[in-house]
Amino acid sequence: MLDRRIFRETDSLTILLAVVISVIGIAFLYSAIYFQASHYIWRQIIWLIVSLIITMVAILIDYKFLLTISFQLYVFLNIILLGLLLFGKKVANTRSWIVVGPFQGQPSELMKVVVILVLARIFSGYREDKMSFKTFALSSLVVGVPAILTALQPDLGTALTFMPVLLGVYILAGIRKKYVVILMIGLLLSGFVGWNFALKDYQKKRIETLMTPDRDPRGAGYQLRQSKIAIGSGGLTGKGYHKGTQSQLRFLPARHTDFIMAVIAEEIGFLGVVAIFILYALLMYRIFSTAWISPDRAGVYLAFLVGMMIGCQFLINVMMLVGLFPITGIPVPFLSYGGSSLLANFLALSLVLNVRMRRFAFI
Amino acid sequence: MARIYEDLSTVIKRARLTVYFLAALLLLITVAYWKIQVLDHQKYWKMAEANRLREIPITAPRGLILDRQKVILADNIPSFKVFLLREAVKDYEKTIDRLEPLLNLKKEELKKRIERYRSIPAYEPVVIMDNLRLEEVSIIEARKDEFPEIKLEVEPRRYYSFGSTAAHVLGYLQEVSVDDLKTQPEKRWRAGEMVGKAGVERQYNDYLSGIDGKIQEIVDSLGRPRQEVSRIDPRPGKNLELTIDFDLQKKAEQLLEGREGAIVAVDPRNGECLVWASSPSYDPNRFISRFSGDEWLSLINDPGKPLENRVLRGLYSPGSTFKPVMAIAALSEGIITENTTFSCSGSIELFNKEFNCWFKPGHRSQNLPEAIKNSCNVYFYQLGRRLSIDNIAVYARKIGLGQKTGIDLPGEKEGLVPSSDWKRRILGQPWFPGETISVAIGQGPLLVTPLQMACMAAVIARRGVRIRPHLVKGEMEGLPEEKLDIPESVFEKVIEGMWRSVNDGGTGKGAYQPGFEVCGKTGSTQTISRETAERLARKGMEPGKTHSWFIGFAPRHNPEIVVAVLVEFGGMGGQTAAPIAGELFKAYREKYVRQANIQGN
Repeated sequence: MLDRRIFRETDSLTILLAVVISVIGIAFLYSAIYFQASHYIWRQIIWLIVSLIITMVAILIDYKFLLTISFQLYVFLNIILLGLLLFGKKVANTRSWIVVGPFQGQPSELMKVVVILVLARIFSGYREDKMSFKTFALSSLVVGVPAILTALQPDLGTALTFMPVLLGVYILAGIRKKYVVILMIGLLLSGFVGWNFALKDYQKKRIETLMTPDRDPRGAGYQLRQSKIAIGSGGLTGKGYHKGTQSQLRFLPARHTDFIMAVIAEEIGFLGVVAIFILYALLMYRIFSTAWISPDRAGVYLAFLVGMMIGCQFLINVMMLVGLFPITGIPVPFLSYGGSSLLANFLALSLVLNVRMRRFAFI
Repeated sequence: MARIYEDLSTVIKRARLTVYFLAALLLLITVAYWKIQVLDHQKYWKMAEANRLREIPITAPRGLILDRQKVILADNIPSFKVFLLREAVKDYEKTIDRLEPLLNLKKEELKKRIERYRSIPAYEPVVIMDNLRLEEVSIIEARKDEFPEIKLEVEPRRYYSFGSTAAHVLGYLQEVSVDDLKTQPEKRWRAGEMVGKAGVERQYNDYLSGIDGKIQEIVDSLGRPRQEVSRIDPRPGKNLELTIDFDLQKKAEQLLEGREGAIVAVDPRNGECLVWASSPSYDPNRFISRFSGDEWLSLINDPGKPLENRVLRGLYSPGSTFKPVMAIAALSEGIITENTTFSCSGSIELFNKEFNCWFKPGHRSQNLPEAIKNSCNVYFYQLGRRLSIDNIAVYARKIGLGQKTGIDLPGEKEGLVPSSDWKRRILGQPWFPGETISVAIGQGPLLVTPLQMACMAAVIARRGVRIRPHLVKGEMEGLPEEKLDIPESVFEKVIEGMWRSVNDGGTGKGAYQPGFEVCGKTGSTQTISRETAERLARKGMEPGKTHSWFIGFAPRHNPEIVVAVLVEFGGMGGQTAAPIAGELFKAYREKYVRQANIQGN
């Protein structure tokens, strides 16, 4: 039964922060792709509205119920991912899109949320201080299967965004040092064996292009250089909205997605960047703080893993723009263009809200 | 509280630690952004500007070159060229492959061209094609968006309106060499700029070249221009007015046609050069392009040496045209007077050697004017016997031989006036008196240029005043003329002989113009190398022929024009050079001397 107190406890600040960041994203999307068709902006606005509505609906459902159906959702989405690999149509050179009428979506984005649910379910009753081998293997498999399916699409960027979630589980459940060693050896060995014996030349080449995404024919070095020029030339206060030469003259690659922060840094400067950082820090604080007021173990896992997913993705992106992390196609949550990603992030957020608003439910 | 049922402190502790770690990371990232955006802002700002701004030079039109009546000899016409913007090139191999079919250029040539400019900074555009035809222009213009790395530009191109006319005065342009670009002290030239390499184009290059303008434009990441930011219009070069008279110049070139030689005419009153013809000539329009290697090579390798400016670089023995110098020396030194006579029997034995007169039967007894008129060798052998070589050298130098005239063109040669000192220095041998006898009739080691001979004639015409020859109007204005310490009466006596040579049935009679008292002296020199003789024999010419000289001026009193004519292998001076000079005097008189007040004496 729905308790009226639940609605009083709905965390409107978190929603507000997410919406503000999304709106800023749309504003700079408009600036960055001014010369291109405006339907990008309308699409993103519609996705934002749809995401908000779905979020409102999602928080009505108790997360404990969602946990109970998480395995089914997980299996269902894995089948879809597999189906995409086998029968999917190529869009922009990858098989990551489901096209339904005018909308296209990336199931891999939704998969991240479901993976978090599954992991929370698995560990909701796990009381050991350290991770057992069984749980280590299981959680690795739960994250690994969809991540590998996504990587094969090939969409290495999205596949990599699964990793912070897995890392979060290892941290919370207490991974043993020997598993870390096993993990390292396993990764190196499979990489070595795969590279030298299993893979054919054209496959290797594909992986090489995966590792150095050549979205722009001038290569990743060019991208990083242009990104740093954009950010550095912005200075303290920026060149002004819609006045960034690096973005307006298209020196910046992927301006509306992966490099949207470089556009912002160029046009509103270091002060603007700090403002965005503060917004994110507040949002992250709201998410993570839910973990320590959570009524149960599943809630801790949900809040923390969502925080890891969103927070790490953000940090990796802003590090990538200034050369602190290799350039990989990772967008900024809420800020970058992309409907599925926006929806997935709002859904993830709804899980956190869900935990927060129901923390008193059993008193 | 739910916590009663479950102890979550371990996981919450782990979560908190992770969050602290992430918060610390965010702080570090903020510091990194502060470094890039605030500390290194200037550096990145400059890089962003360099990214978006591109400068395209606009070639300034060169100043026109005009003759004394403002006939345009060197003009400018619009011409299209193609720049390669090397900053916009990512992969040269691919670019070359793409450009080859568009521009119809050979890959190798394009590669060579790019290679040539490798040491020049990439922001300097490289011209890869010029003098485009209209079809080529329209093809490139239509497809310019596909080729952001090239740019089509109009440039004013030099055009010599009358082709080879006065080519040796005007000179020509060539692309500035990469070595010059690298060694230029301050930034004077751009890559691909056309600079004067000869003639007044070279001498007055800075005066003619003007100041280039530039367009600053914003380009996008593909190098496509988006917006012009600023445009500085070029400042055209200043016009140059020559002293050359176009009509006389044409006439002189006609007279030299088919021959190898030189004609120069100077106004003795001010040193202005009216005519400057060197034959064979060339059409500078044919290799004004940056890409005309073949034509250039064929000109360089042409045995007739059409590029050589014979007027100031051709070295010849003066032959009998040197005799006036001997006369001036002998008269000044008091060795002879006007009336001193020597007898000519057709030859004379001096220093145990027989020296011949050109006229076998001999001229009998004659005084100085008669000897000049007849160009009698024996008379001048007698003078040579009485004058030392060093004495002759002093007078030859006074009159201007053996040194540059100071003409405002590059590459002038000095010629050679021998002296005993010179021979000791160069050959390490003493001077033999017998050699002086050869020098006395303008043979031996003496070497002069046609320009020097014209100036010598001008000294005689001006009765002892040395002129400053020049080709650009007003160039030598204000400089004092040099008066020689030789009495005017000496020159009058020589002029009497030169007058009689033309007007009294002497060797120079071919230059006679009724009513225009021409005074002159012929010359024929026997200097011919074996190779030249063979070459001429192949061309069906008579290799035995001598170079044909004439120097002279008119009218006798208050002379207005001095002419020096040299025709290589033209035979006797009186036969070839004198009539040519006569034609030129006639043309001058018809154009400039309208009054008929100068009838014969």
